[in-house]
Amino acid sequence: MKILVPLKRVADPDNANKVKIPAAGDKIETTGLEWKPNPFDEYALEAALRLTENGQTPKVRAGEVVVVTFGPKETEQTLRAALATGADRAIRIDTTDDKLDGDLVARALAALIEKEKPDVVVMGKQAVDGDSNQVGQILAELLDWPMATFAATIKEEAGALVVSREVDGGVATMRVKLPAIVTVDLRIVAPTSVYSTKTAATFKYNDGVRFAALPAIMAAKKKLLVEIKLADLAADQALKVEYKAFQAPPARKAGIKVKDVTELVTRLKNEAKVL
Amino acid sequence: MIEWSEMHLAIRDAFRRFVEAEIKPNLTELEHGDTPPYAVLRKMVETFGLADMARAKFAKDLAREARERDPGAPPRERKPSPEAGNEVAMQMIPIIELCHYCPGMVTALGVSMGLTARAITSRGTRVQKERWALPLLTLETIGAWAITEPSSGSDAFGAMLSTARRDGEGYVLNGSKTFITNGPYADTIVFICKLDEGNEPRERKIVSFILDKGMPGLTQSKPLRKMGLHSSPTGELFLEDVRVGKDRLIGETEEAQSRSGAKETFASERTGVAAMALGIVLQCQKLSIEYAKTRVQFGRPIGEFQLIQLKLAKMEVARMNLQNLVFRQIEMASAGKSMALAEASACKLYAAQAAMDVCLEAVQLFGGNGYMAEYQVEQLCRDAKVLQIYGGTDEIQVSQIARSLLAG
Ligand SMILES: Cc1cc2nc3c(=O)[nH]c(=O)nc-3n(C[C@H](O)[C@H](O)[C@H](O)COP(=O)(O)OP(=O)(O)OC[C@H]3O[C@@H](n4cnc5c(N)ncnc54)[C@H](O)[C@@H]3O)c2cc1C
Repeated sequence: MKILVPLKRVADPDNANKVKIPAAGDKIETTGLEWKPNPFDEYALEAALRLTENGQTPKVRAGEVVVVTFGPKETEQTLRAALATGADRAIRIDTTDDKLDGDLVARALAALIEKEKPDVVVMGKQAVDGDSNQVGQILAELLDWPMATFAATIKEEAGALVVSREVDGGVATMRVKLPAIVTVDLRIVAPTSVYSTKTAATFKYNDGVRFAALPAIMAAKKKLLVEIKLADLAADQALKVEYKAFQAPPARKAGIKVKDVTELVTRLKNEAKVL
Repeated sequence: MIEWSEMHLAIRDAFRRFVEAEIKPNLTELEHGDTPPYAVLRKMVETFGLADMARAKFAKDLAREARERDPGAPPRERKPSPEAGNEVAMQMIPIIELCHYCPGMVTALGVSMGLTARAITSRGTRVQKERWALPLLTLETIGAWAITEPSSGSDAFGAMLSTARRDGEGYVLNGSKTFITNGPYADTIVFICKLDEGNEPRERKIVSFILDKGMPGLTQSKPLRKMGLHSSPTGELFLEDVRVGKDRLIGETEEAQSRSGAKETFASERTGVAAMALGIVLQCQKLSIEYAKTRVQFGRPIGEFQLIQLKLAKMEVARMNLQNLVFRQIEMASAGKSMALAEASACKLYAAQAAMDVCLEAVQLFGGNGYMAEYQVEQLCRDAKVLQIYGGTDEIQVSQIARSLLAG
């Protein structure tokens, strides 16, 4: 199976307080930010790796995992890290971070997919910076491929994937025929969430995303990483989403201490009006 | 070398992620309790495939030695090789990252995989290397290296009382050792003592033996209470008529020049201190900058006061110097050179003092919070102090630097 995994780097979500908005309020100041891979994209990569291996022998890849990102030269660091973790090959679509929206990314990915012809695109359900949660869905529409969103588990079958997602009060399960788009949620990296046809049903993964071993980090330098110009994939680079203004969330008011449960209940009823 | 390569940064990020996931959340148990560090360290070794790398390097080193022993082989010369520099860099990076939180872990790891294993690989027989050094290099076993005694510290050889007496084909060992890193838990112990041939203690030969946990007559104490470095267990060893065969005498010869062996070990131990100091300083600096920006007094963030700025600037100077010392070590390895003892001493002296100064400044910058465990700088401060004591005290480094200057 050949899997394409789009990756995005985001400002370190653990240091969200470092995000600054200039006085003009027209953008987010990105200089000086620490970049990390979008966590949901890391989960997508982990799921793709699990789908292309026997869990017992994770160094042997059955099929191919190709990672792709949009951005300037520095974003290659994100790709190299993915190559070290186990991806086979990487593509960087050269552009600047602020000249993109979900629609343009999806259109460029669709053009790339025409060339690469993956069996599945596994991607994060959303990026934790803009939280748009759109690219997977737009992409499925453009390609007219089946889609499964917010996957919590994926099981490979011949020519299809059985994907489940958590819904209120239960789990919804569907079978999507390949080629397909799957967007993943955080439970996808639990020990028994993803099984390729090669991995025994009794096998349990470590919880979370895998670490790259040191020799793999060194070997990643030699793996193929190509650059494609955005213009070669999308002639029309007009953005459909226009960001009018950015605003920091209002500072949270200090909390109060209540005397006892009675006071708590009264305040929840009368002031917070949640009871 | 003026900066880390992209690959080094990738390795740094990987170790940083490991430290934040596995060590940071358990810092209280590791640094304020009695939890030994070995489980986390073994997980690190497994995660990054370090055991396989150690096995491969071990096999390569053995093969090289075999080639060199061949009488027709050309004399060994160290050629410049970026490979060797890279190897040093890959040792330094985990040291730096671990020292953001647990300098003690580096001590425990360094004594086991570094000092103890090296004492065996540099002088031992092939059988000894395979039996004891390889499991140490993969962290399957934990090692301790024991030279210090209650009455011999800085004057390690002069005042040493521990003895080995010949006994048929083997030896009988007696003595006590103290301040021994990993002493309470070690599976493999390198015990350094004097060969008692009925001569004056000052004239006795130095010999080293390899001991196993549980040998009759060997007692390993509980961890000693100490000021800091709690993630590195330190203890005492007592030997009462421990009988050993010649197969446990390192090199299987009484002429193995253990004195110079121990000195080489000192030099290599000293070079790791710059990387440790750098990790400690990086963390103090990061915490201090955040605090200086957010702590408000007299209506302003304290970072706006010049006396606070002075502390931050001094930390930056220390950081730059330490970073450059680390780069120099990598560069020297790439060039096929090793540091002379006096230079290693100067590096250790500077690094230990710089780390201590920065930690004290960080505690001061945090005010009352600096004195509280919650803010971590007090822990790093207690940990940093040991850098001025072990591996040769500051005073001993000074005298070694001066001796080399005056020798010319
Ligand atoms: C946490 C920790 C871990 C350790 N781990 C190990 C280990 O794994 N294995 C091991 O063998 N040892 C270990 N040590 C011991 C360490 O190497 C010694 O503590 C150190 O060498 C100093 O010896 P000492 O404590 O006997 O001090 P002393 O030698 O008694 O020194 C006391 C003071 O006198 C000064 N002094 C001594 N001689 C001179 C001189 N000639 N000129 C000027 N000043 C002098 C010293 O600098 C010091 O200030 C460890 C120590 C600690 C604290």
